Amino acid sequence: MKIFKSMTQASAVILSCSTLLLMTSGCDNTSQTAGSNNAETTEPSKNKGTIGVSLLTLKNPFFKVIGDNITAEAAKQGYKTIVLSADEDVAKQSNQVTDFIVSKVSAIVLSPCESRSIVPVIQEANAAGIPVITVDIPCNEPGVDILTQVATDNYGGGKEAGKAMIEALGEAGGKVAILHYRQAESCRLRVKGFKEVIEAHNVSASARIDMVMELESGAAKDLGYKAAEDALQAHGDLRGVFAINDPAALGARAALEKAGKQDQVLIVGFDGQPEGKQAIKDGKIFADPIQFPDKMGIEVVKSIVAHSKGEDVEPEQLIPTSLYRQEDGLKDSSLQ
Amino acid sequence: MPKSKKQHLTHLLTEYGMILVLILLGIFFSLVTLTEQRPSGKKAGLQIASIVKKRFDKDAHILIASRNLAIDKNFYDALSGSLTSAGFKHLHSVQGTPRDARAKLIELENQKIKLQVILGNQTTADWLVFEDIKLNFPQLGAPTRIGPSPYKWPNFLKKDNLLNITNQIAVIAIIAVGMTVVIICGGIDLSVGSLIAFSAVLCCLFIQNTAGGLDANAGGMILACIAAIIITGLVGSFTGSMITAFSIPPFIVTLGVMMMASGTAYLMSGGESVYRVPDSFVWLGREASLFGIPNAVFLMMLLYSIAHIMMSRTQLGRYIYAVGGNAEAARLAGVPVKWIQLFAYTLSGLLAGLGGVVMASQLKSGAPTYGQMYELYVIAAVVVGGTSLSGGEGKIFGTLIGAFIIAVIQNGMNLMNIESYTQKVILGMVILIAVLLDKLKQKKFQTS
Repeated sequence: MKIFKSMTQASAVILSCSTLLLMTSGCDNTSQTAGSNNAETTEPSKNKGTIGVSLLTLKNPFFKVIGDNITAEAAKQGYKTIVLSADEDVAKQSNQVTDFIVSKVSAIVLSPCESRSIVPVIQEANAAGIPVITVDIPCNEPGVDILTQVATDNYGGGKEAGKAMIEALGEAGGKVAILHYRQAESCRLRVKGFKEVIEAHNVSASARIDMVMELESGAAKDLGYKAAEDALQAHGDLRGVFAINDPAALGARAALEKAGKQDQVLIVGFDGQPEGKQAIKDGKIFADPIQFPDKMGIEVVKSIVAHSKGEDVEPEQLIPTSLYRQEDGLKDSSLQ
Repeated sequence: MPKSKKQHLTHLLTEYGMILVLILLGIFFSLVTLTEQRPSGKKAGLQIASIVKKRFDKDAHILIASRNLAIDKNFYDALSGSLTSAGFKHLHSVQGTPRDARAKLIELENQKIKLQVILGNQTTADWLVFEDIKLNFPQLGAPTRIGPSPYKWPNFLKKDNLLNITNQIAVIAIIAVGMTVVIICGGIDLSVGSLIAFSAVLCCLFIQNTAGGLDANAGGMILACIAAIIITGLVGSFTGSMITAFSIPPFIVTLGVMMMASGTAYLMSGGESVYRVPDSFVWLGREASLFGIPNAVFLMMLLYSIAHIMMSRTQLGRYIYAVGGNAEAARLAGVPVKWIQLFAYTLSGLLAGLGGVVMASQLKSGAPTYGQMYELYVIAAVVVGGTSLSGGEGKIFGTLIGAFIIAVIQNGMNLMNIESYTQKVILGMVILIAVLLDKLKQKKFQTS
């Protein structure tokens, strides 16, 4: 009796579960007839389709700006958008992409959480004939077909940061620490550009700029703070810090203030997030090569439109940075 | 004692409430994702052919646009075959990208051909390259564009999507079997999320380093998977023995194991993803070999059936309920309480290992970042499925329903374009409702 009861319960559960699954077999046919009654031909609709966007995270305002600009530009061009946050979880991102493929979006825009693990779903999108575009974070793995990769020119930005550092330290030169985030290809490029400019400067300069330390900053405030503290312990006569993004730069600033060395050590950051810009205006950070997530969003949509129009699309589009100093901050009406 | 009508209703609500929730969610998402769909493949080709036959002369110049895909090939073959046999003489075609279409238009323009109509499928008919032909290719005339007629059907209810949902939830659902047993047994296992990463990394490392890397054969890969699952199972046994031998609360032991497993996964992989595995490794996670059911889903169904029989029809199952209901009473009644607990945690470890292998296969690589927070989703699936966190009570298939509810909510909201923060809020609400139902059930037991 008890067995019977549990079996009926089990079968009820299986039944309701599988109804969902099996309801599908006939669906295409039933709904088909509705369309064919309509003898009039269908002109392609005004809505040109949907763009599915899965960004690394929406916690970082940088990605929020990319998403917002994709949505705004897409609306101008007649596309709808779905913007999702992958919360840095590649399994979640790959589910989001399969959801996009199922809803037959016109294009998929990604900032991959993990460029290798995302390969199978990009291949799935390729097989479904949906163009894939990366934004900010490229995916350079073999076997995937990507329409275009839109990203900041991090190498060029690193060079600008180097120039800013030379400007900051002036004739005197001195010791500089780099707050790195080695996991990210983008940050490696930034540091590469920075080092090249400083080394070129050292060849001819009267006083050298010595890059004495390279510390891991985690690209975050708390770890940037710790790293800067360690740097100060090791080199009391530090003159400059290059931090690979704004949070790390702000963390370093906090450490300098705690040690009372904010006037001795100048910081060059990267990004140009609102908080970073505010700090530049207030003289807490010397300068930032700023990125343009808004332009990135717009370029993404332009590429999708160009592709659909049959025009050539560059496989890689680098958006240059621009150096943001205190005087730019003072003119900036978006800051307090 | 015959039950009153009201008691029947409460019984139904508590026992099957979650199925109701699942069905309601399904109906809801079907209604809100009702969108215009276009037929594709052969069907679309025949539909367009019949329209063209009615409206155009036999010597009209016709361009058929399709992509280089299997489904588009069916479309093209059906359409051009039907038109050719109907006597249409001037068929032009382009198969590829919008760029190829542009090249074709230029070619036709150079041949001084006046194009009457452009035929495309659900995608190619919308290509912008065909939009301003009058402007960009004035020599071609003003061709009409014809695509498949749309019909209304919810995105949610498409067959692909429903299979997609089940495939997406497979990992969580598989691990939730073990978690259900652990929770019924009166414990909790927080380590499963980290064990996913641990097992995924381990499995990919075995394939990469011992089974021959990119050239590994099926046998080698299966051995690597089994080894990863067994080692993860041993971690589960370790957890179980810590809990039973030293009577440390499961919450603390599994918290410790969670950190150790995650750290070990990072150490073993050097913080990077392990990806030198053959393409065929995705068989388990991404392919479907039986009646179009994805392999992972099939595996999941199989596990649920076995677990259901184990829990409802075997002595072992009854012992597990007894231990969770009242461990002391069970011990006095002669149930080997510690062995049962050890078994539950080992099973949970084994299934977490299997989940990790499935995830590694889905993503064709193993990375230590996998599975973060998954323990919470797994526990949520179990609780939503009606298993009581106080132990001794719950059903295996309830957990499956719970897992489906979570997957349906996530998928439905992705389709609806609701961002992930709201998704979290709603998921949290569903879990609270589930606990509320659980309380209702307990109250019923007290009053009756």
